[in-house]
Amino acid sequence: MQKAVQTLFKIMPLLFGIGFIAPLIAQTMIYWGWEPPLGLSPIGFGLLVGGPWGLYATLRGRWV
Amino acid sequence: MGVTEGQGATDAMFFREGLVDAPARGDAPAIPLTGDASLDKHTRVALLREEREIARRFEGGKMWIYPAFAFTCYAIWLSFFPLAIMGWLNLPLAFVLSTVFAVGGYVTSHEAMHSNIGRPGSKTRWLNEWTGKVSTIIIVFPFSMARLMHLEHHYHCNHPEKDPDYPDRANGPWHAIYKTWLNRQPGIDGSIHIYKRILAEMGTKEAADSLKDTIRLQLIFLAVLFAMAWSGYAIEAALIWWLPRHIGLSYIRFYLSWAPHHPREERGRYTNTRLFKSRLGHIGSIGMETHFVHHLYPAIPSHRTKEAYYALRPVLEKRGVHCPEI
Repeated sequence: MQKAVQTLFKIMPLLFGIGFIAPLIAQTMIYWGWEPPLGLSPIGFGLLVGGPWGLYATLRGRWV
Repeated sequence: MGVTEGQGATDAMFFREGLVDAPARGDAPAIPLTGDASLDKHTRVALLREEREIARRFEGGKMWIYPAFAFTCYAIWLSFFPLAIMGWLNLPLAFVLSTVFAVGGYVTSHEAMHSNIGRPGSKTRWLNEWTGKVSTIIIVFPFSMARLMHLEHHYHCNHPEKDPDYPDRANGPWHAIYKTWLNRQPGIDGSIHIYKRILAEMGTKEAADSLKDTIRLQLIFLAVLFAMAWSGYAIEAALIWWLPRHIGLSYIRFYLSWAPHHPREERGRYTNTRLFKSRLGHIGSIGMETHFVHHLYPAIPSHRTKEAYYALRPVLEKRGVHCPEI
């Protein structure tokens, strides 16, 4: 159980990128009427940004 | 709800640190001073006695304001979630209020951390504990953990390894603001990592429980954010909880940790905390201009430290403490 929780928190930035940042980007774009590039859907674009950003934070240990 | 036993707790803290002579110790070491070294031991003891008598007058008071504020704000903040989902919420206003509640919540919990709302065994103890518990939910910092870490901060103020707030040390205000963000980054050896190390060193059941509480609260926080975000309420979740938490934590870290303890070089009773004038005033700095008084007498509630400071000022000046106009 402890190991599972530790692993969960280790990959939490990645999960946060997918679970929160991606939909936040998508809904912000819709709210402001911004069109996603390359014909992507807003959530597709959100995942394209949020996923790698979360992965970067997981690997590097910081968001910026 | 008044506090009468505060002096005992304060004394225990001084004795534990070896900062004040315990009466039974006879010729224990004198009180460390940085001010006028020419003061003899009798003068110092007399001054300390005088200081305590003055301080005692400011302990307790209208302590009901803290639970009243904590429960009201928590109820209003909780109502934001259904109101946001129903589309009945002014989001910019809710964002500002949530941020104020996040910061204010730490102030109310801080009184509970020092048992100033209800001492152990008193009739109001339950109120003390619940005030603490509801106050720190917005900042996702469970009361059990907040209390343990804050008391460690008092016991080991400015100690590089033992003070849980030491990572907030910074060269100046902009660096301090940057550190509030940096110390929350997942891979940085910041606050949570220091907390975990200190809890492991404590090795008590209380310490283990507080870590479990932290994990639970963080998982709840993330589950709420994820669920709201994927249900189409990401902006609402960000403005009601996520951003207020981060802004609140930075504000708290800056004013409650960095500003009163800068430059974190001294560890003495009269030198580990500084008196300062804030550009945002006494309320804007959440009473931290006179946090010095709180470190001397934690049983004096936040709303009375300024008043207490002016009453204590003549005695403190005799000790050589620099006492600016605030």
